[in-house]
Amino acid sequence: MSDLSAGFSEPPRRTKVPKFGWFAIIGVPLIAILFQVYVPRFFTYLAYLEMPLLVTVYYSLRRRSPPFGVMFGMCIGLAQDSLSNHPLGMFGIAKTLVGYFAASVSQRFEGSSALLRLVLAFFFFFFHQFFYWVLSRALLGEAVSFEPVQTLVLAVLNAAVAVPLFRILDKLDVTD
Amino acid sequence: MDLILNRYRNLTALVAAILVQLVLLAYQVKSNTEVRLIRVWAVTAVTPLARLLEGGRSGSVNFLKDYFVLLDVREQNKRLQTDLNRVQLENQVLRSELDTAERGKALSVFQEQSGMKTVAARIIGNSPGSNGRVVLIDRGTGSGIQPGMAVITPDGIVGKIVSSYPTASNLLLATDPTFAAGVLSQKNRVHGTLKGSGNSNAIVDYVQNEQNVEIGEWFYTAGDDRIFPKGLPAGIVTAVRPGRTVKEIFLSPSGLQHGLEDVLVILEGDHKPIPDLPPPNQSVHLQPLPPAEGEVTDPLNTAHNTSNNRGAQTDLDREVERTRRIGEDQKHVFGERGRGAPDFNKIPDNKIPDPGAAKAAPPPSPTPAPKAPANNPAAPSAAPSVNQPRP
Amino acid sequence: MSDPERPANESSDRLFRDDTKFALGRIAVFQYAAVAIFLFLIAGFWILQIRDHETNSTLAERNRIKTVPMLAPRGKILDRDGRVIVDNQPAFVVQLTQENLKLEHLAPIAEGLHLDLDDLKATVKRYASGKRYSPIPIKRDLSPAELTFIDSHRDPGTFPELELVQEPRRLYPQNGLAAHVIGYVGEVSETELNSSDFASYSQGDLVGKSGLERQYNEILKGVDGQRRVVVDVAGREHQVLESQDATPGQNLQLTIDLDLQAVAEIALEGKKGAVVALDPRDGSVLAMVSRPAFDPNLFAAHIKAADWKALTSNPDNPLINRAIQAQFAPGSTFKPLVALAGLETGSVDDNFSVRCGGGGTFYGRYFKCWQKGGHGGVNMKAGIIHSCDVYFYTVGNKIGIDGIAEYAEQAGIGKRTGIDLPGEAEGLMPSSKWKLRTQREKWYAGETISVAIGQGAVTVTPIQLASAIGGMANGGVWFKPHLVKMAATADPRRENWNLDNIAKVVSGMYGVVNEGGTGTSAAIPGITVSGKTGSAQRVSNDLRKSGKLEKDELQDNGWFVAFAPRENPEIVIAVLLESGEHGNLAAPTARDVIKAYFDKKTRLSKLTQPTLALIQRPGSVVGQAVSPPAVSMATSIPEDH
Repeated sequence: MSDLSAGFSEPPRRTKVPKFGWFAIIGVPLIAILFQVYVPRFFTYLAYLEMPLLVTVYYSLRRRSPPFGVMFGMCIGLAQDSLSNHPLGMFGIAKTLVGYFAASVSQRFEGSSALLRLVLAFFFFFFHQFFYWVLSRALLGEAVSFEPVQTLVLAVLNAAVAVPLFRILDKLDVTD
Repeated sequence: MDLILNRYRNLTALVAAILVQLVLLAYQVKSNTEVRLIRVWAVTAVTPLARLLEGGRSGSVNFLKDYFVLLDVREQNKRLQTDLNRVQLENQVLRSELDTAERGKALSVFQEQSGMKTVAARIIGNSPGSNGRVVLIDRGTGSGIQPGMAVITPDGIVGKIVSSYPTASNLLLATDPTFAAGVLSQKNRVHGTLKGSGNSNAIVDYVQNEQNVEIGEWFYTAGDDRIFPKGLPAGIVTAVRPGRTVKEIFLSPSGLQHGLEDVLVILEGDHKPIPDLPPPNQSVHLQPLPPAEGEVTDPLNTAHNTSNNRGAQTDLDREVERTRRIGEDQKHVFGERGRGAPDFNKIPDNKIPDPGAAKAAPPPSPTPAPKAPANNPAAPSAAPSVNQPRP
Repeated sequence: MSDPERPANESSDRLFRDDTKFALGRIAVFQYAAVAIFLFLIAGFWILQIRDHETNSTLAERNRIKTVPMLAPRGKILDRDGRVIVDNQPAFVVQLTQENLKLEHLAPIAEGLHLDLDDLKATVKRYASGKRYSPIPIKRDLSPAELTFIDSHRDPGTFPELELVQEPRRLYPQNGLAAHVIGYVGEVSETELNSSDFASYSQGDLVGKSGLERQYNEILKGVDGQRRVVVDVAGREHQVLESQDATPGQNLQLTIDLDLQAVAEIALEGKKGAVVALDPRDGSVLAMVSRPAFDPNLFAAHIKAADWKALTSNPDNPLINRAIQAQFAPGSTFKPLVALAGLETGSVDDNFSVRCGGGGTFYGRYFKCWQKGGHGGVNMKAGIIHSCDVYFYTVGNKIGIDGIAEYAEQAGIGKRTGIDLPGEAEGLMPSSKWKLRTQREKWYAGETISVAIGQGAVTVTPIQLASAIGGMANGGVWFKPHLVKMAATADPRRENWNLDNIAKVVSGMYGVVNEGGTGTSAAIPGITVSGKTGSAQRVSNDLRKSGKLEKDELQDNGWFVAFAPRENPEIVIAVLLESGEHGNLAAPTARDVIKAYFDKKTRLSKLTQPTLALIQRPGSVVGQAVSPPAVSMATSIPEDH
């Protein structure tokens, strides 16, 4: 994966690309998915927390490699799809795009400021929900309605969770 | 070409990833089939973790409960040793403790005694995007579970399996709007279809307004939906009101009332008679299961027939009945020589109204007064001879 | 999406040491990415929409916006007082939607719905070759258990092709009451669909197949409505886009009177025959019964093949409406018309007498009278009262076939009455012209002798006979018989018949019932019932002698035609009893129906002021003051008719 990130769109050398262990790359996404599957059984209001999305945004921002973002987003999205009742690929496509754009953005910004993280998490949550809705309508012909206000509120909530979450995930950085 | 791919490698990766998924989607939508393999992998990967998590959770919850209970009791012992409330409180705590313990036990007792081939399973997660109405259970095809199987608890029906993987299955809960099951009311054996409403209640559809269903009455599975065996409790009626075409009945599904953790998947069902007595109150979980025997013959088949529209009649049917009674009353056989024509104005019995006249409100032509002859049956019988003098 | 990037571009120069070329390249990447995403989406659309456009666009459309048909209930059929004869009841029909139909689901669906798998497969195949996306109705009249089966298995994961549609179903009277008048509905057949009359119908629609259901199908059927709703993949309705309510069919008010119909129905139970009662003053049909009957409720859903076979292979032909389709020789009921023809043509007058010795020889052949010993001296009135064959042989011979035919045809014999029911039979009134036309032979005078007593080639239907005699009794004025009130025609057909002559014939018919004639069992005290019995051979004498016939066919048909009162008749009734031996047996049925008519009339006229007061103030002083005479009247009339 790290080989792929070298080359033309190599992020600026100003800061190091953090390194993560296997647990961080495989385990954290799994936990995020498990969280989404399991926790809302006991705390229904937590169903609105898109943990897999936040994790995707985080890793894409930190690794600064669009191909990595693409692969990471796709895997986590497809895993989510697999556990759901709808056709495979819906979350997959949405998260692939999120991963790609988050990684692209990271090439220009330092991804460690709390404010930036808040803004990006907010933006990508909204983007993700919107794109998922577009896909449902365009590809599946489902008549789901899109509620911008509700989505914005949820985006704020997710962004608020994202900041401390990203701080915790920073601890998994094994560089040094 | 190499150069281009290299130069736009990021883009290429994105294009490839999206294209692959679009094709995947297109294939699923077009052929209306599942890409089962990927799902099987994902589910198989997640199940052990979720099972572990759930095991850890319920274990620690129980441990913590015990711990805090003891702690609590100890503190109370210290502080309120002479307080009489202590005994009450302790009693209460202990009872709820007993409650949870018995619930777990009830499942295995039920499983043994029900005579059905069942598999016990634990709910380990919600299906993403289903609002919690599709849940994941930790048993799958490896345990013999197939889509379409019924899922129950000793309290009542829970839902049905909609998809199954080697280690896990998706369970559609009875509150989902796409769920339906055939049910019968306990008292009057009224037949209806239980349907999920999307919230915590279920409704019972297709019950005629004339049929009698009471609040607090139990509904049991009817066994005609080819999913649930007959005689399982489905729920208790919380509200009834006459609707536009059919009665509106709201049901609180009994199997979903307590936080769902353990369920039974029915591999081979066994139809049971519906008990005559309502099952013991919900809050007590010591009920003897399976439900009391006694009624071996099946009163349901007749209930089916009567609930069918066989009783429906037109005014012509009623008029023929009325005329026939006139004939019987006057010992006249229509179309036979006899003693002459009967008197059609002689009402055979005061109990029998004149349905024809009673219904003849619509304008076109005047019709006999309904009640006049009935009130005074003798009066009109004089008519023929008076009005039609012999030539 | 590009907005957040713009400030980034500006700051990039300051932020990064990299040369501008490098940064610009990255901007380009972003732009290309945006373009590419839309290209991919277009590619996605291409896969889903272009490659198999029809399937997917319909699928997407159906998933998103679903059209739910709302089937219009057919109009009710009411009697003349507004009482319901045919009603509707709610029912469901289950359909298979073709888009997500999977053939491997058919077996469990057939099992769950108790259908024959091969039948189901055949149905699906038939529809698949037709319109590709029209839903396939596979079962009507679902039982509660089947309803439950469908509901619990039509989730997206199981059998999403199952769809339930509410369809109002016909509720007909039980046991075949009035079945032939009402008729029945059924799915429009393929041959019907191919005809221009059914251009607006599509496969699976219900249409009237016989009786009034067919005759007035356009009025009864109504207009289906539909709802366009937004649904998700699970089939949940999210929003109603537009709703077009179904327009129910119009109700049909008949001239039938249930009081009379009920009596006729009961009287004919277990017999084979027909009853038609008309009001000769306007042609309205008061009662019409044909037996044996069928249960139209069998057709209301979808008739089972076995039921249909049982009906069509029944030797008694229960599907035939004998009241308008049975064509039999009228026998002696024809005699009043012959008498009238004799008077009108001047061939005889009412004093013309014949000596009946039990038979007579005409044109070298001996014709018997039904009374072996003979009637002795018989004039016209006695000839009618005692139905003397020899008298009418003689009169008929004097008139000649064309004279009889002229007046019989004026009365409507051998012609359709034009009643508003499909399939009316014509009957036959032979004449010399008819014989020449059909058999290219001249009429032999000897043949007239048989016709004169209603035998030979002459045949009538019950409705024809009732109409003919009713019109004669009405003074030579014939109204077109009709079952539906609005079908009444104002201008009747009039023949310039001499009222005195009619009165002479009627006096004979009065005698048949009231003066010791052949129809005394139709007498009702206080009502001037006039009528004529008839017994007609089902087959010719020659065939009869061959001995090759069933017992049933050897027996005569019994006819009775009657009207009342004698002057200005209000009701005329024809009763046919197949293999009923003699019209005498048919007479009591006519009597009961006529009695029901006049009893009802009395009941209506009793609805006068005193009775009304009784209803309005039961138990009050006024009520009691009025009731005593009524009671005394009742006790004074014993049951000794």
